[in-house]
Formats: sequence, structure tokens, C-alpha cells
Amino acid sequence: MPDRPDDEPAERPGGLRGLAARFREVTYGMAAHDMTRYALRSRASMEHLFILITMGDLVGVPILPPYYSLRLLPYVVPQISTWKRRMLREKDLTDAMF
Amino acid sequence: MNSLWVVVIGAVVIYLAYNFYARRIDRVVIASDPNRATPATMYMDGADFMPTSRFVLYGYHFKSIAAAGPIVGVITAANLWGWLPSIVWLMVGVTFIGWASDYSAIMMAVRNDGNSLSAIAHRLISPRTRTILFVFIFFYLLLIGGAFVGIMAAILDARPDVPFGIVVLAIMGVVGGWLIYRRRADLIMVTLLIVVVTLAAMALGPLGVKFSPNNQPPPTWSTGVVSGPVLGINNALNGGGPIYSVVDPTNADPRVPPSGPDGKRPQTKAYNPATGAINVFPSFLFWCLFLLVFAYLGTNLAIWRFAQPVNYIGFWIMALTIGLSAIGAILAPFTNPGVATFQVQAITGFAPTQATGAIQWLWPMLFVTIACGAISGWHALFGSVGTARQLEYETDALPVGGGGMFSENTLGLLSLTAVAITGAAGAGAFAGGVGKLLNVATFGALPVAFGTALGFGSFVVIVLTVVQLVFRVMRVTLGEWLGEWWVGFKNQHVSSVFGSILVLALVLSGTWVYLWQLFGASNQLLAALSLLLVTLWLRSAGRNPAFAGIPMVFMYVTTVAASLITAYNLYATIVTRAGSAAISVIGAWAMIIVALLLVAAALLIAWDAWKAWTRRPAEVQPQPAPAGGD
Repeated sequence: MPDRPDDEPAERPGGLRGLAARFREVTYGMAAHDMTRYALRSRASMEHLFILITMGDLVGVPILPPYYSLRLLPYVVPQISTWKRRMLREKDLTDAMF
Repeated sequence: MNSLWVVVIGAVVIYLAYNFYARRIDRVVIASDPNRATPATMYMDGADFMPTSRFVLYGYHFKSIAAAGPIVGVITAANLWGWLPSIVWLMVGVTFIGWASDYSAIMMAVRNDGNSLSAIAHRLISPRTRTILFVFIFFYLLLIGGAFVGIMAAILDARPDVPFGIVVLAIMGVVGGWLIYRRRADLIMVTLLIVVVTLAAMALGPLGVKFSPNNQPPPTWSTGVVSGPVLGINNALNGGGPIYSVVDPTNADPRVPPSGPDGKRPQTKAYNPATGAINVFPSFLFWCLFLLVFAYLGTNLAIWRFAQPVNYIGFWIMALTIGLSAIGAILAPFTNPGVATFQVQAITGFAPTQATGAIQWLWPMLFVTIACGAISGWHALFGSVGTARQLEYETDALPVGGGGMFSENTLGLLSLTAVAITGAAGAGAFAGGVGKLLNVATFGALPVAFGTALGFGSFVVIVLTVVQLVFRVMRVTLGEWLGEWWVGFKNQHVSSVFGSILVLALVLSGTWVYLWQLFGASNQLLAALSLLLVTLWLRSAGRNPAFAGIPMVFMYVTTVAASLITAYNLYATIVTRAGSAAISVIGAWAMIIVALLLVAAALLIAWDAWKAWTRRPAEVQPQPAPAGGD
């Protein structure tokens, strides 16, 4: 069984350039990936809170009058599926730990 | 034996284990498939679930699991049983148990929609198992907090050349956070500035201090530019003498000095060789509080303002120190064979004699003393929540999860080398070994005394990084648990202070080695639970669970036995010992209760797991993840 999918294009350059790219990625992973991830999660939490306030009726929490929801809807549409997935996902203590 | 052999043994064993065992399990038993959609690709939300390059993920996973565990455990074990059992367990453990635990926990989460271990335990075994898992996590946090704060406070108290570097680390953390996030300064320039200044502050600790071979006479801390004022603070605090004394029947406490050439331990301010008493001075309490304040800032300030930049500096210091030490370990047999030769005893016996009657049998105690580096439950927990949700392809799980564990094992081997070439015990031996290896790696440019200070500083930085995370998680745990009972615990400051008080009580009243061994037991029980879940999952999927099931039984029996022995040791060597301070007795009872609770929780899980095992597999059959490819 190959370790890459059948339809994946050539991964990255070989030789020294490839080695340097991999070293850079590993170093980034060790030094800063957790910081990036934390920042993304913070932003996602804020955005999802905003969507909950404005579009709560999509998951059965009517908060704002539908008029304002409708005005904001076009801007929120791209994120609705992600938001519902994250919002309705069962979470526990261990999800909050990392 | 010398450091080169450790490198050779490590390289050969890891190569064979990865290529001939791990790859086979991945291919035949788990059957990882690059064409099957992973949770990261199915549920991508740009935050928790996000496909990530396996190289980035390898670095992320390795850095998240590799901390002070493989260092402290190996130091303690080499002191108690010698270097031979330590290296055997490190290699056998990682080959047959460690990588399997990390990798299979990640794959189990991947095949179960990215659910955490607790959610899978809830479904595969019983709802009660999830609650018990939280109990493990809480005790794990409490014990690791106590063990790490205790060992760091002992170092800061005994080594006046170390605290200055830690204070500068805190200042550079604040400066770095401000420069990166507020001033949008260039990351490379900021990195250079904060890392170089912190390293310089750590290395300058011994400036002006005279060191003698074998520390006889002791270093002249009072003449040091940095250490002099710190010693002045310690002396001012200690004017009234010790507050009370504790006893470590195994002499593994960092405050116990190593034996001299005559085999006897010298008398120090903190240690009385005639009675075995370890004096607890006000300065020790002061450094405990210093560390708790440090952890409090890391827990409660905005993460970008303190914890992240401090950990970022810590990463570079750790990478530089460990990387250079590894180079030194390889070079030393050729350039300076005297440095590379092991000084510590190969084996002290199956049941090394403890003057106070404490039981420290090689089995089961070695297997909980060295946890990380051989196997750790924390890795499985982290892997199932943090790493599994970012895997782009199933086939990345082995290089990321398994590879990360094998890499962490090399950190354990390096710690063993550093301790063994010094021929002494405790964190001081590790720092001394790092000092020697750095001296070799820099071809003598960095004197051993300054390298040793850097070794101490690096050790404290590595531990501090973990302690900040531990206190942050403990705050969340307390808020979630006790917040329903009293809303005050949902306040981050209240829960942080409460957690700090619990840890401080444990440090001041407890005996360090028992704290460490209990932490190891809770960690290994977590690992056994993770392997148990994998066993049940594989069985329910109709696959052979032997590669997870056999190690699970071994770890389960071993850790339960180790917890019971630790409880006995606490009772026999502290509770019933004539002259034990009241605070020590209280601490011993508290730890006995924790040990018994861990055993009771483990037995409950075993019972529930047995019921789950005897159920028809169809009843616990997980829903297959939708395939993304063909």
C-alpha cells in the first residue's frame, strides 16, 4: 500500500532543497504551530460566537429578530456549515485541554 | 560502556523497531489507507480540524510530548537501579509499547470521527469510564505539578547561579510577546534577541564563582556576580533555620547530595547524612512560591503576552542544548574518551537495599519511574485530540505518532548518557553531563562550569514549559468539575489559586520520589487505559488486538502493583517512622489515599472493560468513517 493517495501530485522537490523545506516545516511545527493553532482557535471561537448570536435560530436558539439575521445572512453563509459542525459537536474536558 | 554505544544501540533498535515492527502493524493490522478520508479533511473547520503537512505535524507532536518526563524519570531510575535496566526498559518499552500506544490512539481517533479518548471510552466501555478517565487526568495534573515544582524549587534553592536566567526568561517572554504581537517586529530578529539574551543570562550564572573538582570544597557562590546577590537573598530568608525536615528513604530527592569518592554523602545545609533528614528552609518555600507565581502568570495572562513567548524561547533553548549535547555524545568517544565513559553503576540489583526498608524492586517500580521515553498515557490523550484531527492522510499517523515517540525516546537516551557520564545522581548529574557534552561539542570553547549552568537552566526551562501547561489545564479541569458545585471555581483566578495551593501542599508535605512514582503510575494507567480502548476497538472491528492487548495487560498489572507498593512505602517509611514531622505524615496519608484511589479506579475500569469484552462485538461496533476516495 503506498503511503500517499493515488491522485496526489508530486509532493515537493527532492535533494537538498527538499531536505531544507522539510527541516523548515519540522522546525515550524516544533516552534510555532501550536501558537498558530491557538490563534486560529481563538478567532474561530469569536466568529462562532458572533454567528450564534446572529444566526442562532439555525440551531434552534432564536436571539435576534429575523430581519437582522437576514441582513447578515449573505456574509455568514460561507461559514454556516463549519459553524454548525463545530457548534453541535459533542465536547468534553479533553477537548478544552489542547 | 560509553556514550557512543548508547547512540549505536538507540539507532539500531529504533531502525529495526520502526521498519520491521511498526510498519508491519500499520500495514497489516491497522491497514492505514491514504485514500480514506480523515476527520481533518471531512470536518475541516480551519481551527480544530485542519489537514496539516506531516512534517509540520511531526514537529508539533514531538514538541508537545517531549518535555521533562524522559529526563527526570531516567535520572531517578539510573540512580536507583543503574544505567543497564534503564536503557533496557527504554528500548524494550518504546519498541513494543510506547510507539504502539501513541500511534494506535491516534489511529483510533482518526477512525472514530476524531473523537477524544474519553468520548470513545464512553461508547466502547461505559459512561463511568469517562468519569474515571477525568479522575486520572486530575491526579495526573496534581502529581506532575507537585513533582515538577518540587524538583525546580530544589534546584533554584541549591544553585544560586540558576534563578537569574529564569527571571530574564520571564522578562524576555514579556518583551518578545510585545514585540511580536504588538509592534509586529520581524520574527527572526525578535527570536535572535530574546533567545540570545536569555541564553547569555543563563550561561553567566557562574561568573566569578570558583569551582573545584568533585565540588570539594563547594563552589564559592558568594563571590559570583550573579550568584552572590541570590545567595544573599537565600541567607536572609534562612536566618531562622529550617522550618521542618522530611525524609526521602530512596535518596532520590534532588536536595540529597551525591556520594563522594568514599561512597558517603556529604553533609550540606539541606541534608543530614546521619539521620537522612532533608531540611526544608524558608528559601525553598520562597522558590516554590516564585515558581507558582510564574505558572500563575502563564495560566492567566493572555496567552500571547507570556506563556507563548516563554515557551517559544524555551523551545530554542531546549533545541540548542539538546542538539549540541547529542553532538557532544557522538564526538566525545573520539575526542575525549574520558568524558564519554560511564561512571554510574550498571546495575544495583533487582531489589537494591534501602536503609529505611522502602521497597524499590526493579519490577514494578522501574516501569513507573521511567514513563515518558518508554511509554506515556499523556501522549495518547494529546494525540487523540490534538494530532489526530490534523492528519491529512491515515498513512501519516505512523511517522507522526510512532516517529514522535521514537524521537522522544532518544531524548531519554541522551538524559541517560548525561547522567551516566557524570557518575552522580539527581538533576545536578544531568546538568553536569550536559555541561561536559557541551564542552566537547564546542571543542572546549564553553567551559564545563558555564555549560553546567546552561544545563541547569535548560532543565528548569523545559520543566517550566510543562508546568505552565499543567496549571492551565488544571484551571480548566477545576472549572469544569467544581464549577457546577460552586460557581466561584469558574473564575480563572480562583481555580488557579486553588490549584496552586493544592500543589504547594503536596510539595511541602510530600516526599519527592513518591510524588514522582505516583505521577508515573497515573501516567502509565492512562496509557494502559488507552491501550485497553485500542484493544476493544480492534476486536470490535474484527482485527487482531494482540499488539495492543499484551502490552496493556503488562502495563495494567505493573502500575497497579507499583501504586500499592508506593502506598506501602509511604506508610512504612514515613507514617510509622519515629520522628516524622506532622506535615510529612499528613502528606504521606494524602498520597496513600491518592494511590488507593488510582488502584480502585483501575479495578473499576478493568471490570467495565471485561463486561465490554464479553459483549458481542456487534454491540460495540463503531460506525465506519465515510470513505473519501473510491
